Amino acid sequence: MRQQKWVFVAVLAVSVVCSSLSASRGTGLQHPEKSVVLIRSIKQDFDYVIPWKRKNMTRSMGSGLVIAGKRILTNAHNVSNCRYVELTKENVARRYPAGILFIGHDCDLSILTVDDESFFQDTLPLELTGIPKVNSTVSTYGFPVGGDRISVTEGVVSRIETDTYAHSGADKHLVIQTDAAINPGNSGGPVIQDGKIVGVAFQGLREAENIGYMIPTTVIRHFLTDIDDGKYDGFGSLGTIFYPGLHSTSYKDYLKVPPNEDGVVVIGTVMHASVESILQSDDVMTRIDEYNIDNDGMVEIYGLRLSISEAVESKQIGETAQLTFYRRGKLMRGIATIAPNRPVFERTLQYDRPPPYVCFAGLVFTPATRNFLETWGPRWLREIPFYLRYLFTHSVQLNTDRQRREYVVLSGIMPDEVNSYAQEFKNHVVESIDGIKIHGLDDVHNVFKQTTSRFFTIKFMGNNRILPIDAKAARLRHQPILEKYHIPAEAHLETVP
Amino acid sequence: MNKQIIYIAFLSNVIFATCSYAATPGQSRPDLTETMKDSIVYLETSAYGYSPSEPWKHESLSESWACACAVGDYEVVTSAESVVNLAFLKALRYGQNEFVGAKIKVVDYEANLCLIRLDPNELSKPLKPLTFAEDYQKGAAVDFYWLSSDSHLYNGRGYLDRASVEPTRTSHGQRLRYVAGNTSQRTARGEVYCVGSAPIGIACWSNRENEAGLIPAEMINRFLKAVTEDSYKGFGEVGFVISELLDPSMRSFLDMPASVKDGAYVTDVYNLGTGCDTLEKGDVILKIDGNSLDPHGRFMHPKYKWLSFDHLITSKTVGESVLFEVWRDGKRTEIRANIKNFKASEMLVPYHEFDQQPEYVVTAGFVLQRLTREYLMEFGDDLAGDTPSHLYHYYRDLAFKPTAERQDIVVLSYVLPAHINLGYAGLGQMVVRKFNGMTIRSIVDILRAQKLNPESKHDVIEFEMDSPVVVITREQLPAADTFIRKNYGIRTLSNVNP
Repeated sequence: MRQQKWVFVAVLAVSVVCSSLSASRGTGLQHPEKSVVLIRSIKQDFDYVIPWKRKNMTRSMGSGLVIAGKRILTNAHNVSNCRYVELTKENVARRYPAGILFIGHDCDLSILTVDDESFFQDTLPLELTGIPKVNSTVSTYGFPVGGDRISVTEGVVSRIETDTYAHSGADKHLVIQTDAAINPGNSGGPVIQDGKIVGVAFQGLREAENIGYMIPTTVIRHFLTDIDDGKYDGFGSLGTIFYPGLHSTSYKDYLKVPPNEDGVVVIGTVMHASVESILQSDDVMTRIDEYNIDNDGMVEIYGLRLSISEAVESKQIGETAQLTFYRRGKLMRGIATIAPNRPVFERTLQYDRPPPYVCFAGLVFTPATRNFLETWGPRWLREIPFYLRYLFTHSVQLNTDRQRREYVVLSGIMPDEVNSYAQEFKNHVVESIDGIKIHGLDDVHNVFKQTTSRFFTIKFMGNNRILPIDAKAARLRHQPILEKYHIPAEAHLETVP
Repeated sequence: MNKQIIYIAFLSNVIFATCSYAATPGQSRPDLTETMKDSIVYLETSAYGYSPSEPWKHESLSESWACACAVGDYEVVTSAESVVNLAFLKALRYGQNEFVGAKIKVVDYEANLCLIRLDPNELSKPLKPLTFAEDYQKGAAVDFYWLSSDSHLYNGRGYLDRASVEPTRTSHGQRLRYVAGNTSQRTARGEVYCVGSAPIGIACWSNRENEAGLIPAEMINRFLKAVTEDSYKGFGEVGFVISELLDPSMRSFLDMPASVKDGAYVTDVYNLGTGCDTLEKGDVILKIDGNSLDPHGRFMHPKYKWLSFDHLITSKTVGESVLFEVWRDGKRTEIRANIKNFKASEMLVPYHEFDQQPEYVVTAGFVLQRLTREYLMEFGDDLAGDTPSHLYHYYRDLAFKPTAERQDIVVLSYVLPAHINLGYAGLGQMVVRKFNGMTIRSIVDILRAQKLNPESKHDVIEFEMDSPVVVITREQLPAADTFIRKNYGIRTLSNVNP
């Protein structure tokens, strides 16, 4: 047994040496300690059930890399909901408090800075390069679990495609899959080829072996360009729902698309998107800018065949894209503006934003968000009340109210005599109060302040019952409830910290 | 002196009798084994239902058994759930080695009762009918009896714990049930329960807490009385939904005086069932047939104590009427409503499709089906969590609300891949809105719509919720349908009830 263990360690040592030699010769970094840093952070997530509270603090560790301009690039998830960040360089017995300059949760990237100029002494900023070729060798650097020093692992690029970024839970961008080991702590570290960055390690697959993902430089460049103006706007989209239906010659014939044309069928547009006035259902989009769209909804870009969204991903919000499409056999063109085009029921997880709320007479109202839904636990999509699931999965189709900004849910009840019978309405989505349609949380705040009727009559979506609250009693109990439950304010409507 | 002795002796007998029924279960209980030998039969059932996901195909043949209780010389009663999707039925009576032919005479899945007639020519002698006693003695000791396939008559024991109105396993509605506790055996297959020597009900469910649900004598007797009439009309179904009215603010909001303490709030009114045409959302039901409803929607039954209001409707037969006293627009109003019921097939999303093949149309490999609860159950038992939410919405909110404009929800369940539907293979769970421009009210409309626009090259199917349009080239359709029928083993490409 003892012998076997030794043999194993010896093999491991040889492997590390080989990998290290190969890295220094070809794909890797000569002096990783000058470019790769350890990030320690203290995090405190928000409580989406009692929104004026935060959860317990946790410590986390990740990696980062030095880039030009005395900046440290890392993953957003290393520093999201953060109370404190500090950096450590290998071989330097000092810790440096850091600040977050920019954070892009939709692309899981963040830029940190260190006020102490001495931090950047003897550092070597890394440069970005292009998309590596599939089957080419890459090296991953970082501070994963299992040791204190910089780790390097080598692997090949296995796959390049669009996939979901786990940090936001819904945003999809280009990812590069590698079999180089990416473990907890590697996040934010550079993936290197020929001494340059080809990606930032950021996520893996739990149920698989040797499947790790990096954020490619196309996404990193978009992020860095975005923050050039001093603020981060995020990625945008066309706001169009496509179906790759032209494999059916009958469908193609019905839509009067010339036989030699490829494209995708438009089946819907997102409310308020610029394409609302350009595209209609049953239009067939054949081209976006200079890219021809094939019947699978793919375009040739970066020398690769990638999703049509990649043609939009390269653009900043506010930029435009020229669309070429057929409508009932007629070739048409239009200019679409790239915009966030978020659905009214936000599907992505939010960070660094204290959850807004309104608390009136112990009734706590919050916007219906993914974060709120995930308070039901790992099987949240199955466990949440049906109507929330229905709205979450189909809000784009179900919401026909152009004034709606969000759905508001009665998320909690601070028990008191005035709300004793409201419990059954908990987690229901508010439709109206006193006949006034609720389009956003501020409407709730306003209606409770302004209404003079005898009852606040609250109607909920998908529920035929109404909740009448005695207005006089509610006003009387409002302040004592805030005091009893130590609620710092009756409302927090700010959505940006 | 003699008189006094006689009186004392009589009194002690009464006390003894009472104890044997309720206070000391297990002592001096009559053994009805011999009596039941001529009154309980063993049923062997073969069920051969259809697959909700491949409706042209039967599911595996399943065999089961049940008990039935004689209610006539050649007639027995059992629970309806024992005969769901029945393909073949045979009976065995005590002491007779050969199976006896049996046929269903009346089955009512809403009442969960079934009357079966045995072949008189095959029975060795007539059965001895039992009479169900409607006495209800809470806490009474109960004995139950059943006949096994090897012609042994077994019995077990428990006590009568409660009467309640509860959901049935074979219908959307709620019905009166007795619940027996501490039962010595799990019983759910029509076993006959007795208090003393009197049958009081037949078993329809059991649980791990050693409880058993019984269809009570009252329900059985009404069912048997109703089936003797010329045409069996069945019992009432509730056509509305109530919710508790506990909140004083809500009562005040409804302008109800403080002196009115009773009443339950009507939160929804269906398009089917009793009260659907007379009650309104927002009514407060104060009384039904003179029985005051408490804020939970219960009334004080003289025998069973607090019961859900449903019993006041579901215990009446169709053709009778019911009197609602409601609080509407700030005042008391009396409304008389006819007792109504409806078949599951009349629902917008039927609760079940027992004993019938699901309705479907397959065209060019597109499988179009009627949305039913059984269809949704294919996704998992937790309908609210497992099913596609846009489909569950129809079941949850609109199942009881068919209209002239919409009698069925027709779903493209999936696509059987073939050359004609190339590019569409991944589609599924989409609700059909139009077929060849015709708004689809029911699945039978699909067949009608296929004949529309004869000059058109295509059949065109449109769906709800930002879905692609399905286009089928008509010229290719006959050959494609032949291929699909042969390749996927589909005997007939449609099953639609007119």
